[in-house]
Amino acid sequence: MNLNRRSLMTTALTLGAMRVYPGISYAQARPLVFATFTGSWEEAHKAVLVPAFRKATGNAQIVLDPMLSVDQIAKINAAKANPPIDVMLHDPGPALVAVGQGLAEPYPVEKSAYYKDLIPVAQEKMGPAPFFQVVGLTYNPETVKTPPKSWADLWNPAFKGRVGITNLNSTLGTGFLVEIARMHGGSEANVDAGFAALDKLKPNLAAVAANPGALATLFQQGQIDISPGNFNAIQILKARGVPVEFVAPKEGAIAFKTTIHIVKNAPNQELAFKLIEAALSPEVQTELMNPPYLIVPTNSKVKMAGEIAKVLAASHAEMEKKFVFQDWAKINEQRAAWIDKFNREIKF
Amino acid sequence: MAGGAPISQNDPRLAWPLALVFLVLFVAPLAMLLALSLQGPQGGALGVGQYARFLGDLFSLGVLGGTLWLGVKVTLLCLLLGYPLAWLYVRAPAGLRGPMMLVILLPLLTSVVVRTFAWIVILGRQGIVNETLMGLGLTATPLKLLYTDGGLVVALAQVQMPLMVLPLINSLFRVDPNLADASAILGAGAWRGFFRVLLPLTLPGIIAGCLLTYAGAITAFITQSLVGGGQMLFMPGYLYQQASTLQDWPFAAAIAMIFLVAVLAVVSVFNTLGRLSRGYAQA
Repeated sequence: MNLNRRSLMTTALTLGAMRVYPGISYAQARPLVFATFTGSWEEAHKAVLVPAFRKATGNAQIVLDPMLSVDQIAKINAAKANPPIDVMLHDPGPALVAVGQGLAEPYPVEKSAYYKDLIPVAQEKMGPAPFFQVVGLTYNPETVKTPPKSWADLWNPAFKGRVGITNLNSTLGTGFLVEIARMHGGSEANVDAGFAALDKLKPNLAAVAANPGALATLFQQGQIDISPGNFNAIQILKARGVPVEFVAPKEGAIAFKTTIHIVKNAPNQELAFKLIEAALSPEVQTELMNPPYLIVPTNSKVKMAGEIAKVLAASHAEMEKKFVFQDWAKINEQRAAWIDKFNREIKF
Repeated sequence: MAGGAPISQNDPRLAWPLALVFLVLFVAPLAMLLALSLQGPQGGALGVGQYARFLGDLFSLGVLGGTLWLGVKVTLLCLLLGYPLAWLYVRAPAGLRGPMMLVILLPLLTSVVVRTFAWIVILGRQGIVNETLMGLGLTATPLKLLYTDGGLVVALAQVQMPLMVLPLINSLFRVDPNLADASAILGAGAWRGFFRVLLPLTLPGIIAGCLLTYAGAITAFITQSLVGGGQMLFMPGYLYQQASTLQDWPFAAAIAMIFLVAVLAVVSVFNTLGRLSRGYAQA
């Protein structure tokens, strides 16, 4: 073999290209790629969903590639014809963006064994909701002796300098703003009342966290005593010995659908369908409802139990009555303007 | 090698691989970014609308100004704390230098996320600083240190410190120790000797250190968002918000380009200072 500069270069470039674009060499043979969320979601999916999927498919290959919703959208958008992700997981806001940009394949509802069992609000044709996220009040029981009952308690002068919130970059922050706007006569279409309420909250604010994860740190450091918080995130903190409690406010906890979608043009359509079926199945949802995961199920065949039944709702009927679902199509219309307004006005 | 002229030590062809890497991984994405930033909203006509949107908006200009100013504060603090440290290192006996270098480099050896979380623990209400102050009876209630400008500057200064100290050490080593003695013999006091002899001779190191710290501080997305909090907005966070949460790539690209130009402007000021200082140091 004549090992000259040119042949070396060609080989190197080819090898490099194969690494950068693995699709060249094995377009159809790559494992199913599931972009779950980072942190507790990844743990739960690795422990419960992946084994269920393997069992259902005779050990098909699957890779978890955890990332934020918005990053999933960016990655798929960058390679629409041959997306690097087969199954994406989204909060309600990004889900509508992804569907709006044509990144999702309609879910083959007629083929699905479980779709019809989902509670009506979880039945989304472009990608069903296998789980809910629930946002309520989080507080430190060591410093807050009377548990809060309502979102309005955040404005209680007793919590001067003790309240934490997040900015609107997160689903939680935006959902919270919409909810307090509603309390003061606003709606998804008009959150001015919510901004006015935030303005009045300033004396109580100890911190505006950049993301919900940072709120957890602030509880651990005693920086804040009360904040809006995600039910699952709080359970994880609690399990690690941080003194936090979750309470559903009397106005109703805010529920976000977490939807799961087959990516358009994804090479593994059939496996993607099987993974989503597994996520919708009562077996997986029941297991994920149990400790330590405590993920709220959406399949009506799953009987609510444990901490979820105690703190949130004892049945799906009660859940649909007690939870507040927000209209994210409306929210997305103006979200950019709200973020802009929040950037400018919420300084303290 | 199969052909071609023999390669001499300073053959420009040796730079080709690096140039290729730069071209593919740096220049090309930058050109794409520039093209993206010229797009109108919702795929409208090409133009400088995104730039006008940023430059015509006092709030956005404030974010840019705040970011550049943050860098100045961090750099000055690093210089103030880093210079004596570098001086001590150079004067230390050889046996002490090893452990000292380890301490200086330690921040580089731990992940920036870990370091930043350490600062959250230090600055929190029940953190080391507040516990000490309250223990000494200097304050009755915990001070708010986390999510404040001062807290952020201190945290960034620690995170970026090695980038300041290493060039300083390098340039201090190059200064002939006899020069200090000479200036003392000629009647210069300690301060005069420092300002007239040591400082000018180490200016290149100071400028290199300042440049690295400055660039590091203004782009430190993780530390800015975790120690600064959600209501303090700097350019990296602004860019992320527009690109990621709002998926407004053209505006985000424009922010990136403006930030790049602003940073290049600052860098060229440093470079000019560096050139001047070389003249000054040799004069």
